[in-house]
Amino acid sequence: MSSTDQPYIDPSEIALEGCAAERFKSPNNAFWAGIRDAAGAPAMVLFAGMVGFGAMGKTNGFDVWFTTFTSFFMFALPGQVVLLEMAITGSSVVAIALAVTLTSTRFITMTVTLFPQFHQKDRNRSLYASVHLLAMTAWAISMKEFHAIETKHRLAYFVGLGLLCWLISIPGTILGFYLAGMVPPAVTLGLVFINPLFFLLTFTEVKPWINRIALMLGCIFGPIFFIVDRDTSLLTSGLVAGTMAYLIDRKFLRKRAGVIG
Amino acid sequence: MMNTMADALSGWGLWIALVGACLGTYFCRAIGVLLSNSINQESEIFRWLAAVTYAMVAALTVRLIVMPLGLMATVPLWIRILICALAIGVMISKPTKRLVPALLTGTLLMVGYGVIR
Repeated sequence: MSSTDQPYIDPSEIALEGCAAERFKSPNNAFWAGIRDAAGAPAMVLFAGMVGFGAMGKTNGFDVWFTTFTSFFMFALPGQVVLLEMAITGSSVVAIALAVTLTSTRFITMTVTLFPQFHQKDRNRSLYASVHLLAMTAWAISMKEFHAIETKHRLAYFVGLGLLCWLISIPGTILGFYLAGMVPPAVTLGLVFINPLFFLLTFTEVKPWINRIALMLGCIFGPIFFIVDRDTSLLTSGLVAGTMAYLIDRKFLRKRAGVIG
Repeated sequence: MMNTMADALSGWGLWIALVGACLGTYFCRAIGVLLSNSINQESEIFRWLAAVTYAMVAALTVRLIVMPLGLMATVPLWIRILICALAIGVMISKPTKRLVPALLTGTLLMVGYGVIR
């Protein structure tokens, strides 16, 4: 079906482009702004997470190449942890691939909710390369910032943001691997805690009520489905809580004035 | 921890598992790009998928805080929740430019707990 690609222009995007402020002068400018925004909390969080992962690889007897390649080619911390855990317990290759793929299903909806916000001219094959830079950190920041960035500069901003996050994860993993066992437990606690804390904090910046309700319901259903079945719990709790939030929004919230839809 | 390494995958099997995990992860990202080509950001399905994604992210986050594995599980649940609440308090005291201070508050409190216990 890709041969039927037509150069159509989405009317909604013209309007958006018109009202967004001139925040960046050029794509180059937007790219470096993305790097700068990544250099604070997002890089700190990813680096800490990857240090923890590198240490996990070392203490469980994996070599430094395997541990680092995992960060480089997967770049999805929850899936990486599942891979190591299952390899330690001797699961089959097929079971590992399936379980990791299930934990990565969030990337489908993350991409689907982020990439339509790019300018039409940027929505081409090159996105299949840029999408590797997508992780929860870059997604959370982009969803927050995109409304204030002109559509034509969003891709450059996202690539800057994602690229630094990806690149920082490699030295983080290697450092963690060689520091394993030398770091006091108190510091390890901080390294492990910073990741979920970051996501929790970004939730407070989510404005639309439909997404706020989805977050709250996700917090309730997540642990319940995790007890029922660990591997599919993200998918099932996402679908159930997200659909409930959507229906609540559609039935009640949209009719009320003053509620951000 | 007490696993005998005889149980663990090793050699080629391990690397094949890595290739499978990488392909599975990239597959999800690529499917997302493919689907995003036919989805308009003003459509109902976009709103629904955004809600589903936020719910998934929330489920993952709360799981890491409430039902962690390993070292974090040795910290009492009420301490974890109290530290989260304090960090959120710093965050919402002035929502712009408070992410790094809030993150540091929470992380340093957790390190502090680890030191004094």
